Amino acid sequence: MNRSQISKIIIVGLALPALLLPGVCLAYILFKGLPALSWSFLFSATEGLGFGATSGVLAQLLGSLLLALLASLVATPFALGTALYYRLLASKRQQALLAGLLNMLQSIPPVVFGLFGLIVFVHLLQWGVSLLSGAIILAMVILPMLVLNSIASLERIPGQYTEAAQSLGLHHGAVIGRVWLVQAWPGILTGQLLGVARALSETAPILFTATVFSGVVWPESIFSPVTTLQTHIFYLAQEGSNPQVIQVAWGSAVVLLGLVAAFALLARYLANRYENPQHLGAER
Amino acid sequence: MLKFWLTFSSLTTAIIILAVLGFLLQASWPLMQSQGLSFVTGTEWYPYEQLYGMLPVLVGSFWSIVLALLLAVPTGLAAAILCAELLPERGRAALRFSMELMAGIPSVVYGLLGLWLLLPLLESQFDLLTGRSLLAAGLLLALMILPTIMVFSESALRAVVTEQRETALLLGLDWPTRLLRLLLPQAWPGIRVAILLALGRAMGETVAVMLVVGSMDRLPQPLYNLLQPAQTLTSRVGREMAEAVVGSVHWAALISSGLALALVAMLLSLLTQRWRS
Repeated sequence: MNRSQISKIIIVGLALPALLLPGVCLAYILFKGLPALSWSFLFSATEGLGFGATSGVLAQLLGSLLLALLASLVATPFALGTALYYRLLASKRQQALLAGLLNMLQSIPPVVFGLFGLIVFVHLLQWGVSLLSGAIILAMVILPMLVLNSIASLERIPGQYTEAAQSLGLHHGAVIGRVWLVQAWPGILTGQLLGVARALSETAPILFTATVFSGVVWPESIFSPVTTLQTHIFYLAQEGSNPQVIQVAWGSAVVLLGLVAAFALLARYLANRYENPQHLGAER
Repeated sequence: MLKFWLTFSSLTTAIIILAVLGFLLQASWPLMQSQGLSFVTGTEWYPYEQLYGMLPVLVGSFWSIVLALLLAVPTGLAAAILCAELLPERGRAALRFSMELMAGIPSVVYGLLGLWLLLPLLESQFDLLTGRSLLAAGLLLALMILPTIMVFSESALRAVVTEQRETALLLGLDWPTRLLRLLLPQAWPGIRVAILLALGRAMGETVAVMLVVGSMDRLPQPLYNLLQPAQTLTSRVGREMAEAVVGSVHWAALISSGLALALVAMLLSLLTQRWRS
């Protein structure tokens, strides 16, 4: 064997965990969780007799979705506004500064936003442990990725389109509404879907700001707490004495994974389908 | 109207950063007042006796991060090299997809895997009473940051220009030499960014670590003992935040851990941006 072959074998050997572990993890989760799934597990919300062992996860499913969708709803106007400012009004220096700030915001660990929300929303503003607190915290977590995604999809619009629109004397609003959003909406929507998927996977920031263990099926108002799949898994995982409870935890993990995958795959489909900006007849 | 919306929303990023830092600093003030800066080196953490030593969690966080990086960097880098240089197009797509899948698994599900798959394995392997330890946290974190390292390193490797590859081939250099002398040095700026991003993720990860680290507030004995239950910055915040009384020194001590995390993360982000440009 020559040097080249030996070194390639070493590389493959080192990479082996990366090749095997994704499959192993997924298979183990499915192996443990799929047996727990049933119609009544998904679509009933019977209250936690025996510490959640016998109940369905409908309430948690709804809570997770509600939090993530509300977070995306809160973040979208700011994200879109920031991205449009970046492309339309910002000077080169402002662009660099804004990009720097966005990267910085993205680097802050989600749990820190949880602490911030606990201080400001839960205690200072007296919203309590509530859907609203959690949604705004998650909106802060996903804001930078939404902005960066929107900027990227606005940047993919060919420059001639903008120039043509501006030379026709269209004002900013018309350039945005008639040209940019028409061209960039699939990319922006992709970003939104990925944002929802991200918000669905966060646990730490909502653990003590938005959720309770049980007792809620559908929150009465935005100032009520919710139950979510993420925190449900977290609490049940630690109840080691009862194997049935752990079974529910694995089942919830599969449901959560399915939910995240659904949004991520939808995003991927959109991105593939509309990868290139639609070409107008005039350009060819 | 339009301009106002755009300008205002572009300011939100800066506002959020300032507000987070401001409120966290204000809330952690009682700790500074009562303890000065001595809490950083204190080794005892007993909130009921007003002892708020941070050293055990700093050591815990340090070990779990270092262990995660030591495991994930070689593996992730090797996978990136495999993906960028050795695999055919289809294998490459499959590997990338599996990494994306791994990155998409929520951290609490990793925690569940750690608690009910990794811990029993560790217990039987090392003959421990409980598998909850810094080793478990490090292993789990390694799993979670592996996709970050692999994906960013791979795009850095693929960005090495064809001309240079061809030149190296024409010089008759064999594969290991090309890898060590051309590809890795050329891709290094991107690879170090990948490592920094992974470091940030490992540092801030909360629930998964919380479930496997054991939440024991004391220094490892001896300092390099990774098989004992321990505590990290984030796991302590997660464990005790709900029970701390608002405005107390305990509360302030927990908030200050969050502040420290935010400051280090922002410093890392500045470094990343310098290295990128």
